[in-house]
Amino acid sequence: MNELKPLGIYIHIPFCRSKCQYCDFYSIGGSRDPRLVDNYIQALMVHFKETGPRAADYLVDTVYFGGGTPSFFGADNLRRIFAELQHRFRVDRDAEITFEANPDSVSSGLLKKLRAEGFNRMSLGVQSDRDEMLKKLGRPHSYEQARTAVQLARACGFENISVDLMYGLPDQTAAQWEETLRHVLHLRPEHMSCYGLKVEEGTPLWTWKDEANLPSDQVQAEMYLRTVDILEAAGYRQYEISNFAKPGFESRHNLKYWMGDEYIGFGPAAASDFAGKRYTYNADIQNYIRGVLKQDLPILSECETIPARERAGEYVMLRLRTTRGISPEEYEKNYLMPFEPLLDAIVPLAQKGLFVQDGDRWVLTPTGFLVSNQIIGRLQEAQEKSEPLAKKR
Amino acid sequence: MTELSKIRNFSIVAHIDHGKSTLADRLLEETNTVDKREMEEQILDNMELERERGITIKARAVKLNYRADDGEDYVLNLIDTPGHVDFNYEVSRSLTACEGAVLVVDASQGIEAQTLANTYLAIDAGLEVLPVVNKIDLPAARPEEVKKEIEDIIGLPAMDAPEISAKNGINIHSVLEMIVRDVPAPKGDREAPLQALIFDSQYDSYRGVIVYMRVMNGTVRPGMDVKMMASGAVYKVVECGYLHPKGMVPADALGAGEVGYLTASIKTIADTRVGDTVTGAENPASEPLPGYKSCQPMVYAGVYPADGSKYGDLRDALEKLKLNDASMYYTQENSIALGFGFRCGFLGLLHMEIIMERLEREFNLDLITTAPNVVYEIDKTDGSHIEVYTPLNYPDPMEIAQAYEPYVKASIIAPPDYVGNIMDLCQFRRGEFKDMSYLDQSRVELHYEIPLNEIIYDFFDALKSRTRGYGSLDYELIGYRPSKLVKLDILLNGEMVDALSFILFADEAYARARRICEKLKENIPRQMFEIPVQAAIGGKIIARETIKALRKDVLAKCYGGDITRKKKLLEKQKEGKKRMRTFGTVSVPSEAFMAVLKMDE
Repeated sequence: MNELKPLGIYIHIPFCRSKCQYCDFYSIGGSRDPRLVDNYIQALMVHFKETGPRAADYLVDTVYFGGGTPSFFGADNLRRIFAELQHRFRVDRDAEITFEANPDSVSSGLLKKLRAEGFNRMSLGVQSDRDEMLKKLGRPHSYEQARTAVQLARACGFENISVDLMYGLPDQTAAQWEETLRHVLHLRPEHMSCYGLKVEEGTPLWTWKDEANLPSDQVQAEMYLRTVDILEAAGYRQYEISNFAKPGFESRHNLKYWMGDEYIGFGPAAASDFAGKRYTYNADIQNYIRGVLKQDLPILSECETIPARERAGEYVMLRLRTTRGISPEEYEKNYLMPFEPLLDAIVPLAQKGLFVQDGDRWVLTPTGFLVSNQIIGRLQEAQEKSEPLAKKR
Repeated sequence: MTELSKIRNFSIVAHIDHGKSTLADRLLEETNTVDKREMEEQILDNMELERERGITIKARAVKLNYRADDGEDYVLNLIDTPGHVDFNYEVSRSLTACEGAVLVVDASQGIEAQTLANTYLAIDAGLEVLPVVNKIDLPAARPEEVKKEIEDIIGLPAMDAPEISAKNGINIHSVLEMIVRDVPAPKGDREAPLQALIFDSQYDSYRGVIVYMRVMNGTVRPGMDVKMMASGAVYKVVECGYLHPKGMVPADALGAGEVGYLTASIKTIADTRVGDTVTGAENPASEPLPGYKSCQPMVYAGVYPADGSKYGDLRDALEKLKLNDASMYYTQENSIALGFGFRCGFLGLLHMEIIMERLEREFNLDLITTAPNVVYEIDKTDGSHIEVYTPLNYPDPMEIAQAYEPYVKASIIAPPDYVGNIMDLCQFRRGEFKDMSYLDQSRVELHYEIPLNEIIYDFFDALKSRTRGYGSLDYELIGYRPSKLVKLDILLNGEMVDALSFILFADEAYARARRICEKLKENIPRQMFEIPVQAAIGGKIIARETIKALRKDVLAKCYGGDITRKKKLLEKQKEGKKRMRTFGTVSVPSEAFMAVLKMDE
């Protein structure tokens, strides 16, 4: 028998207690209509059954319940889905099983059930340690609730807890942000994601962004660089632009996105990169349910086969998000393209302190991460002009 | 051929937006030249660009058949005119082809600058000017006051002027009757040697150049050998005829007083210059019609493809445009910063903008245009004399014995209230006051001698804003005068970008250099590093600005669903970069090259 290939599975849970001001993920805020929930679970199960056979020679080593708010969706519902998933896919015994949670929907009952079912990682949306800020952002919980949630999770046996935070918030100063970080460090999470707030068109925040008194780019850049320093000093290694972990606690699932590994997503708005294709489902739960159950509607919003040359571009774009960076050997071997044009672009940037060499790998420095869109653009430009190695010879 | 007494040749003059094109449409409808169903909006403005800018760039003409209230059939030839100082010469030629002009004035706006400028051109050409008050159906219409304005400011009797609405077709008939009644019939001798005035021409890939003309004397027929008196070119007429909005209608002959076209397998538009006289090759007229000017480009600018590999496409596009525009000139040029491109000559800045837009639109090119300049002359220390068309060829200061710059005689007409403002402006632009005279109570004409360089950029705009739009400008080259000139170089990140260099009057160098550095700072987006922007004369830095480094351009989140989005974002970023040129590590958007000449505060 051939060796099984690794696979990540993402399941989107598009239900929330309420919509946050800044959020542009697909989810439905408000009550959980029992019939809708039931139909949705039904659709996921049918979808698993259909897809399972196509992943016969894969071993699922990460599962991620994202949202939305999976904790709000409820332990029993999550358990039902996960049980069916294990039935239809080969899930590794040591798989990383993550669920996202918000402090207002975490209880010891929920945590115990999930832990017993095999869930082993919780990603908790904390965002801020200041209640007035949480309120302004439309988050339905207090910081105290967040602290309690972390303690409960520990008590219920979770040894891998991640906390999400945001900086660059309305009225926020650099000093306030540092204080937030120090408070959260007391909770001793294994993993932290720190995201710069991005005001997305179509969100409620967009309509009041001009009055929001958001920190300037200069201040946000400072906040970011301080984050890297403070977390580094506290024993968290930066492994991606916005992600930090104690050694060994990097999110294995999320790393798949940046390493170019394969994953399948289920649910509306979920994305997959599987068997050479990248595809996304429509951000519409009704469409998803009907499309899967009745099969009379297409549910794909996008689907593309990625040619090798484009994969080379993605390698640069995604790997440079991580502290593994890019390696000439890996690049030339996998994409049969010369690394030299990239190197010509990298060297002057390294002289300016934006790149650093780690063995044979090139990695962006924190200052480099801050302008990574520019850098990626420049490298891809160099890449486009280069000829494949085969042609050169 | 129509009897002379039954022909009326006229044009319509108006300020932009006062309804010239709409009135033209209504006249075509009212005379059944085009029926309503076929009426394409504003048929006379048939270039896409013209319609958007609301100005007529190239003249066209159309023949209308009209049975007047007196029961007689008349032929009315409507000749359209462009409306900008860059094209003053073309306007004057079109007007010379007419005996009358219908002056359209907006009933609520009253008289405005162009109304005046074009009316004076019409009066100078000896035309009967017939006012019409338009847009009388608007709530703000004040026809009586506007008529009084016409009488007071222009001095034309206007009390009986038709009150119309071109848009809603009100009183169009009275305009036609007025034309028949008040526009003088053309004069001319159909047996005399041929003299036909070219007021426009157009290149057609099947028939060669189509010449639009007004026959002043004599008769032209197919098969006849004709000579262009200025260019000397001789051709056999293939076809002649009348102009209809939907195409050309061939005729056996065109006689004195008539307006129409001829084709003669003419391969280059340069042979059929606007203002030239067509005469018979065998029995030529003793002299050409007066008023011909060979029109020379006044300003030159470097034109480069934003993407260097599109050089060939740009060359092909220029070749094609040149077929249709004799006033444009181009020659190959090579810049260190921008690579291969062309130095192009234009009548003025508007002409340049139009050509650039046509190149970008009709030929789908992304272009970088360098700051325009006039032609300078230089006596070199080695005794030679050169003409400098581009800053790229400006000699080293050590080799210059004396530099010269072109001067124009500018004639400015405006109401007396604005004389002070005009004098301030002209003095600031190094103008030398010559004289001033009252044309009548309501308008003054000032003459200045001004360096052409001071006129070409934004002088006309500045004049309009200082005279509330009433000032009009005309100018002609009077020759070269000694001047103190320097070449200003721009350095980005310490490296000179030759395409940003330009020549200017030495005393202005410091102020301009500072301003240009500021402008570049505004126009070049922040990049990963700090970029010093410096201006230098002969290696000496005289101004400096710094473009601060970009602090943050990062996507905070990039998970499964974000990857496609992020890729699209990078694509967009790449598209944006296509309009930029990279020098060393600095990306410069194409607009920055033009921004350096916008001096307005």
